Amino acid sequence: MSTETDSRNPLVKGDTEDTSAVAAGAVGLSAVLFALSLGSLFEVVDLGTPVAGVPLVTVVGGALVALGTAVIVFGVGSRLGYVETEPQSGAGLVAGIAFAIVWFVTAGLVASQTFGLGTVGWLLASVGVGAGVFVLSTATREDIGSTVPAGALTAFAGLVVLTGVIAPEWVWDLGWAQKASFTGAFTIPVITLFVSLLSGWAAAKAYAGFGARGRHTGAYVLVYLNALSIVGVLVILLAYTVVQGVPGLVNGFALGPGVGPESTVVLFGTTISWEWPFYLPFVMNGVGLTNDFNGVLPAIVGTVWLVVGAVLFAVPLGVGAAVFLTEYAERGRFTQVVEVATNGLWSTPSIVFGLFGFAFLIPRFGNGKSLLAGALTLGFMLLPLVVITSREAMLSVPDEYRDASAALGVSKWQTIRSVVLPAALPGVVTGIILGVGRIAGETAPILLTMAGGVFVPGSQTPDVVGGFEFTASPPFVDNPVLLDAASALPYQLYALITAGVGASGNVANPDQFKWATALVLLVVVLSFYAVGIAARYYFRRELNQ
Amino acid sequence: MSETAQTTTETDPNSAVSEPETTTGETEEHVREEWREYDYEGEAKLSVEDLDVYYGDDHALKSVSMDIPENSVTALIGPSGCGKSTYLRCLNRMNDRVKSARIDGSVELDGTEIYQDGVNLVELRKRVGMVFQSPNPFPKSIRENISYGPRKHGDIETGLLARLLGRSNENERDDLVERCLRDAALWDEVNERLDDNALGLSGGQQQRLCIARCLSVDPEVILMDEPASALDPIATSKIEDLIDDLAEQYTVVIVTHNMQQAARISDQTAVFLTGGELVEYDNTDKIFENPESQRVEEYISGKFG
Repeated sequence: MSTETDSRNPLVKGDTEDTSAVAAGAVGLSAVLFALSLGSLFEVVDLGTPVAGVPLVTVVGGALVALGTAVIVFGVGSRLGYVETEPQSGAGLVAGIAFAIVWFVTAGLVASQTFGLGTVGWLLASVGVGAGVFVLSTATREDIGSTVPAGALTAFAGLVVLTGVIAPEWVWDLGWAQKASFTGAFTIPVITLFVSLLSGWAAAKAYAGFGARGRHTGAYVLVYLNALSIVGVLVILLAYTVVQGVPGLVNGFALGPGVGPESTVVLFGTTISWEWPFYLPFVMNGVGLTNDFNGVLPAIVGTVWLVVGAVLFAVPLGVGAAVFLTEYAERGRFTQVVEVATNGLWSTPSIVFGLFGFAFLIPRFGNGKSLLAGALTLGFMLLPLVVITSREAMLSVPDEYRDASAALGVSKWQTIRSVVLPAALPGVVTGIILGVGRIAGETAPILLTMAGGVFVPGSQTPDVVGGFEFTASPPFVDNPVLLDAASALPYQLYALITAGVGASGNVANPDQFKWATALVLLVVVLSFYAVGIAARYYFRRELNQ
Repeated sequence: MSETAQTTTETDPNSAVSEPETTTGETEEHVREEWREYDYEGEAKLSVEDLDVYYGDDHALKSVSMDIPENSVTALIGPSGCGKSTYLRCLNRMNDRVKSARIDGSVELDGTEIYQDGVNLVELRKRVGMVFQSPNPFPKSIRENISYGPRKHGDIETGLLARLLGRSNENERDDLVERCLRDAALWDEVNERLDDNALGLSGGQQQRLCIARCLSVDPEVILMDEPASALDPIATSKIEDLIDDLAEQYTVVIVTHNMQQAARISDQTAVFLTGGELVEYDNTDKIFENPESQRVEEYISGKFG
């Protein structure tokens, strides 16, 4: 009876505030180190910066040693019974194999690079250490098995950094034919990133007292740090583009009445014109010798019309095809073939679409690169995704709606139009958003079908609305603008980068100009996203308010 | 080896012939024609003759014949998979929507055969409406749910174009919405929020909304497929009261698993048993108090099915 109660864990955990504070501190320290290494990897943080007179790299080394020691101390303390935990018999096969591989690599590197052993020597050392760690982590109790290998590696990495064996100036020349080398400025963050993940996991397990709860917490910390790194990479990417792009974007910015250019719109014969109350030359000008500041207005307008044209072309066709496939066609060989074909089209490389546009569309539209050819090519690219997502959205509309409508004597087409399509609209819009995000950033098809030039003068801004003219003979309407070459932001960026130094003389600061173009492209694509998300939100609210 | 094979072939014909005979004799009673004959007063609204339904190779409904009298409640009861829902869906040709279904026999609505070429399905389903097992209002406002059918049939016109052409009849629409909701005993609960989404109503309210939507196209027959099976007792009793009221103007045919419910609300009851067979059809009191068939009695008293 007494043995049975002994083998059970207490239902309520005892008072372990001090020890769990140590473990929680270790988890927090590893998170900080993780973020720090991520930052220094993307050169947001400089490892040479002194913190209270000590270089940051030394602080990181010290912190790693402290983290590793804390993890080991906790594990050993738990094994000796000083800390109240509920460990299982071993750390498990997966953790054992992972530790063995990590230690195998570490031992091999140390043996071959530091001690200069030959192939046989370092291989023996690696296998010996790897096997030893595997036995240690699987055969001993969980509190030792999962903390000691992780903590020892962290402390070891910390010592290497602290003693300056690997300093920011350190270079490891690989001696390959391609002249590859690892620098300390790259190696230290990567090592820190890795060992802080390992130790964070071990400390999280320790914090929850090992056992089932410990495994849960360990996995939670790993997943959380992973998600954090994804968000971190995204934020760093955005921030980097913004920081680099803003100086070029706001170049010559002025605020106040009368400083902006005058815009004129002709609508049904009435002319409306107004003056912008601010002047942002980068998005209001083209490139010209007489301009005070140069800009990318033609490419912005080109991108917008390109996307509008592609959407106008692809959405009715795609949604129509999806309606036919889900509501009318019998499920069978034919729908399967169409499904495979649309999936295949969606994964077709964009340059192939570009080549198709170049070979098929351009000869039919006046033999020159044009906005229309570009928009149609991108429309072809967008089409499969619209079909796939619309089909999914319509298939997920419950059959009960169709039954209810049929039972009221409403015909099939009216049911589709007033019940199925409105219910599927949020899904359809999601598909369009995803597709637009892809095509707005495409370079290859634009290069082949509508590219204008490296530096596009303001006079080449496509004025699609104003370009419509009525003619006396069929087809009665004419729009030369659609058949003119136009530029788009991704292509402009590509052309700027590949144009070389000589062609960059047109703008005062080519680097600034490129980054500002990239920033504007980012903002344009993100605003398409924003419009799409707002539309989806609106339709969804209409459905279930 | 060869001996055993021989013995099986020898015994096989015996067992194949004699065993089924004994089973039919003992457990499967023979359904008599007079059990299914029901003398009612008044006119037959629907008249079904020798209706057979097949789903692929599956014979789901076997030669069912029954007349459904006008302005009354007819309950269809029986265990799961006995074909009562299939039968119900034949009455407004909803089974046409099932690809594998094949239907033989005759169904007459007011003396007109509905399984013949040239039947206007729109008109048929306007006259024979249907309420489904789980409440299925459209994800639209309450008002739009009711006016959906009439609008699609062109009886109600709202919107900009109709207003410009002077054909808008919004008042008629509002009258229709109020009348249908009152008939479905829902008006008092929702008249303040006709423009709210119907999915925000409770399950019982949604089901009454579906009944109101069914009434909106002015049907003559209302088919109900277990309309209260997803509802709590209070909502169920409201639906039952409603069915009672509806029977004054409409012919109601209701499928139910709940035998007390069938006994409470119906005028006549048809019992389907496994295999898609109509076993007995008569006055509800007669079926529940003194059924002719042994199996029906066992089913009603809960021993079978």
